[in-house]
Amino acid sequence: MRLSCHTCALLPTALFFIATSIGARAQDRPVIYRDVETKYVFGFTEGSGIGLEGEKEFSFDSEARIGKRDGRYGASETKLEFEFTPNQYVQFEFGPFISAHQIRDVTDLDNRSQVAFGGIFGEIRYLLLDRGPSSPLALTLSVEPEWRRIDETNGERVTNVELEVKLNADLELIKNRLYLGANLLYEPEGTHDPDHIGAGWEKESKGGVSAALAYRIVPSVFIGAEVWYLRHYEGAWFNTFTGDAVYVGPTLYVQLAPKVFMTAAWNTQVHGSDVEDPGASLNLSEFSRHRAKLKVAFEF
Amino acid sequence: MKKQFAGVAVTMLVAAAALCASLPARAQQPVTISVIIKNHRFQPAELHAPANVPIMLKVKNLDATPMEFESVSLRVEKVVTPNSEGMIRLRPLAPGSYNFFDDFNQEANGVLVVK
Repeated sequence: MRLSCHTCALLPTALFFIATSIGARAQDRPVIYRDVETKYVFGFTEGSGIGLEGEKEFSFDSEARIGKRDGRYGASETKLEFEFTPNQYVQFEFGPFISAHQIRDVTDLDNRSQVAFGGIFGEIRYLLLDRGPSSPLALTLSVEPEWRRIDETNGERVTNVELEVKLNADLELIKNRLYLGANLLYEPEGTHDPDHIGAGWEKESKGGVSAALAYRIVPSVFIGAEVWYLRHYEGAWFNTFTGDAVYVGPTLYVQLAPKVFMTAAWNTQVHGSDVEDPGASLNLSEFSRHRAKLKVAFEF
Repeated sequence: MKKQFAGVAVTMLVAAAALCASLPARAQQPVTISVIIKNHRFQPAELHAPANVPIMLKVKNLDATPMEFESVSLRVEKVVTPNSEGMIRLRPLAPGSYNFFDDFNQEANGVLVVK
């Protein structure tokens, strides 16, 4: 799925105007920058927030990967997510997800146009370090097992299991206005006989680190930017390096109503390497050219 | 492979459950403080509590409409129906100020000062 530059420019612009108009409406009342939950203000980078005790949330959380070296490529996974916080230290999430693939004339991938039930996931988040009046740093450990029946990249029917382990840190630089976020990622996964030749489990792993800044321009709107560095390996324990990629892009968070918010991010690969294609300046075999995130959540 | 992942996932679930279960066991006897909401205002708007001990916060709603006590820094939210009261258990807190408000009427604000 190749998006034109016009479309790429239009989407963030439209989101920005929606966000600022909501912000402008909020200006009718005295401006109060309340404390904020940081989990979703950094785009793909997750903040340390674990929600409020007693809070429940339902959300549509969609992540898309767009563009390969040739042809037209678009793939997405949309989580239908239920999240709850039973106490002031831990948060749980779980739900199914929907996989969608639109692939045409991409080298090494079959043409495909499909939407299917993709699998299920669960997540536990535990607050390791609490932000307090005299401590601006907070740290959370998240562990997310996933079972997948549709391959993320090519859309083929598979049996895949993955464990995403993340450290989410954030630092309040200016009280209730400016935040610095960072993630450390370890993501081993296994796919059973992906080529249907009786080869058993094929293991791979991904590691990554990110940094993000989010600035609150009005009480209900954050804008920011993030950078991700991702490395891909064969083997579950970072065994054999196969390639890496650097993504950068803008982020947006809008509190649409007291119990409704949306978050969006767009990342573009700006550098990459592939051990099988040493001359390439991007890694488009293991990573996509762009990736996008859109989440809309309803709290109750 | 599948068993390895299942093993890791189960171990982490058990560890998380153990951590959760250990929290009440570590708890000390809480200090109880109270606040009322009347005419959509917290009274008193400034509460005081000692540092590093658990706190039981009693929220009494004397209005004819429901309110939702909410605080990101305290990490709690609780709906209190009209003419009733709710109890909120707070973890031991470091010294400082913790803001709270009524999420159903955001002009009602207060602060908990911990010393």
